[in-house]
Amino acid sequence: MKITDACVHPRPSGDSSVRRMALEAHELGFDSLIAIDTPACEYGGVEVFSGVEIPLALTQQEVTSTVKHSRETGAFVLVQAGDNGRNRMVLGMRGVHVLAGIHDTDRYAFDHVTAKMAADNGVAIDISLAPLISEREVPRQRVLDRYYDLMLLYRRFEFPLVISSHARSVLEMRSVREFSALASVIGLDIPDVEKALAYTGGIQSPHSPVRVIQ
Amino acid sequence: MTSRPPTLREKRRYVLVRIDPAGIVLDAKELYYAVNDAVASLWGDAAAARVHAAVVAVEGEFAVVRCRRGTERELAIALITVTSCNGERIALRTLATSGTIESLKELIGPHQENIPASPLQPEEYTVDGRTVVVSHCSGQKVDVIEKGFKNATRFFLTTEDLEDI
Repeated sequence: MKITDACVHPRPSGDSSVRRMALEAHELGFDSLIAIDTPACEYGGVEVFSGVEIPLALTQQEVTSTVKHSRETGAFVLVQAGDNGRNRMVLGMRGVHVLAGIHDTDRYAFDHVTAKMAADNGVAIDISLAPLISEREVPRQRVLDRYYDLMLLYRRFEFPLVISSHARSVLEMRSVREFSALASVIGLDIPDVEKALAYTGGIQSPHSPVRVIQ
Repeated sequence: MTSRPPTLREKRRYVLVRIDPAGIVLDAKELYYAVNDAVASLWGDAAAARVHAAVVAVEGEFAVVRCRRGTERELAIALITVTSCNGERIALRTLATSGTIESLKELIGPHQENIPASPLQPEEYTVDGRTVVVSHCSGQKVDVIEKGFKNATRFFLTTEDLEDI
């Protein structure tokens, strides 16, 4: 079981190199990282997976072509969540691994239909700890509210979850224990956190129905 | 004023934290404000009063934070959310919790010994078009800071990164 931080942003988006982030992740108790726009490598005993984050600004056609290209390169694909229609489109797309940024969307963007689609298609929903750490007052309350709502759907539909720091600096990275502690604030217990941190292994070998090959 | 008998005193717990990035100098009072703000912001004023957080010591890159017994979890979670102190970006890494300050101070020694000190490399480097100098170096980790500016940008690299530059 690999313990993975599902999204970090090394240089040039952040101020820390991917090697430094890997060293730090090792000290913080992680086995692997998904680093955005960085080639896959292994450093300091930590496996770094290449990741692609598709921003909200891209059109459906651009999202489709980026996902297709990423599928060829073997990178993990994180797509920023938008309105309900966009989320349904993204969740139905082959090659998308994670729907990220749910905390930035409105209450209707991720409902029972999208939750069921995520569960059926094995697309993980990202719980970013960055806004819980860096935001204060009303913005953080909004994020907590969105996560409480997400937990309600998670208990009902059991779609996969991943937890990420979205760190742009080693100062924004947190340890596995700190991930668990922060996740407990939104109602995730330790087995759920362990499952979410280990989900990257599941992405590498996704569950699919048994097929008879003739 | 006479002090209360020991049985009537409230029990306290002390949390040892490491302040990142290494080499940063923080005032205990400023750190107290940052910790208290984090506790009150996350848990509210009533819970902050119950936690009763206070910074009792800052020794180099370590600090000891006090709270009421039974509120260690709330304090530890709030410490995760401390991101800056007096305008400096920091992170507080919780290392241990104890009932006495003394036992935590005994832990500081082994933690300091665990960090192999490397000689500082005085050379200048160019990172993202900026001239930087090494501000701290331990093991493979190298922190570089933009030269000649107050509140300069800090980059977190490794010795291999510097060789590649």
